Amino acid sequence: MIRLQNVCKNYGGSPALSNINLHIGLGEFAFLVGPSGAGKSTLMRLLYREEVPTSGNVLISGVNLNRLSKGQIPLLRRRLGIIFQDFKLLNSQTVFNNVAYVLRALGVDEREVNKRVSSALAVVGLEHKRDSYPTELSGGEQQRVGIARAIVNGPPVLLADEPTGNLDPATSLEIVQLLERISQRGTTVLISTHDQPIVNAMRRRVIALKGGELVADVDNGFYELEMA
Amino acid sequence: MLRSLRIFRRVCIETLLGLRASGWSNWLVVSILAVALTIFGGVLQMTMTLKNLVNAWGNQIQISAYLPDSADPKTVAHEISRFSEVKQVEIVTKDVAWNEMQHTFKVASVDNPLPNTLHIKLSSPDQVEVLAPKLRLMSSIESIRYPLKVAKKINDVRHFLELAGLFVTAALSAATLTVIGNTIHLVIKARHKEIEILSLMGVGPFYIKCPFVFQGAVYGAMAAILATAVLLGIHLYIDPYVKDQLFSLAPALTQNLEYSLVQTSLLMCALGVIVGAGGSLWTSGRYIKL
Repeated sequence: MIRLQNVCKNYGGSPALSNINLHIGLGEFAFLVGPSGAGKSTLMRLLYREEVPTSGNVLISGVNLNRLSKGQIPLLRRRLGIIFQDFKLLNSQTVFNNVAYVLRALGVDEREVNKRVSSALAVVGLEHKRDSYPTELSGGEQQRVGIARAIVNGPPVLLADEPTGNLDPATSLEIVQLLERISQRGTTVLISTHDQPIVNAMRRRVIALKGGELVADVDNGFYELEMA
Repeated sequence: MLRSLRIFRRVCIETLLGLRASGWSNWLVVSILAVALTIFGGVLQMTMTLKNLVNAWGNQIQISAYLPDSADPKTVAHEISRFSEVKQVEIVTKDVAWNEMQHTFKVASVDNPLPNTLHIKLSSPDQVEVLAPKLRLMSSIESIRYPLKVAKKINDVRHFLELAGLFVTAALSAATLTVIGNTIHLVIKARHKEIEILSLMGVGPFYIKCPFVFQGAVYGAMAAILATAVLLGIHLYIDPYVKDQLFSLAPALTQNLEYSLVQTSLLMCALGVIVGAGGSLWTSGRYIKL
């Protein structure tokens, strides 16, 4: 599903990622770990084509992202769900409208919007908050709205960039468990995090970066201190 | 098709949200653009009027050619009518002229001192200076006379107004572009989160940028409406006064002073929408990186 081949990314001569080779299969659930500056966010940005690699190839569902034209980038992103650390919700819009926002922009029929948004809110357990505003929700609930928005289009790949960075440990675990449940429905989930307790509690595939290099890739792994 | 309509509807909603978010700066942009368009429209109306005036004057311009007694008026008239610049040649014989003069001024009974005269009407007033030298070269014509200066002055004023109007409109349009650019930039800043979300969720640049371009076009259209209202006011309240004054001076001229306010309004609207939408397109291209 996700494949990186000899990927390097430099910023003004200094390397952010060096020779990364990686494959994440369909429906897989993986953590991308490493300390700040390890290259996690750069790698995530390469996956949703916010950045292009200096060298090497990034492929999603067999499509080489290097070869995408500007006009094809939106089509790629419609097949990805992206979850952010800062939730990126519109405070002036209700929960329902936040989730429906992009569907409406894509010209989806209103009945279909209703159906899909209700279903996504049901998955994240927020049907009862559909008319609330983000400012009326807890951090965990806001992140659930972000997850609902990410899955509303039914993407085969879900990318979560530090989704628990602004949450307390108990809520963080709930959010990651929610993402794991979504993964069990066949969605490939990649979570970038430096939250060691969460990673260790889940015991799933751990891909570790350090100084822009891939230093570990272990199934049922731990986030060990020496990785950092 | 239905999907495109739904997207268009959402773009319109986003445009309205953008207008609401811009608050008072909407009026700043619209009023500056309205001033620019009023000047443009006013100058356009004035030059059209002056053009009509020159044409009306020109239709009355005729060259009077005075012939020596040795020349046969009919032969010379026939010769002159062959020039392409000539529309009509009227012969006034020295006897007819003398009779009229005697009738009008009650002159003493002396020998007729007047020459045979040809009144030459032109196909276009611009041709005066082309035809006059040709006539001067003809040995069968003693002298010629024509009221060139007034027509030339009016034409000069018209050209000056056209240039000055274009310059002022261009300068004000440039100022408007800057104000529109700043306003749209502020809207983009205020809505950067929405733009980022839309972009990352796979919404195309058309949907993201279009509301800003539409907002600029709305500014242009609103400014054109304001400018039209101002010109309509001038048309209704000031024109009759000007016409009265002109009528007392030269009745024939007022017959050709009608001009089309609808045409001017459409031109102002087109210019306003082009400046508004163009300014927004440029700004959104500069500040929205997708």
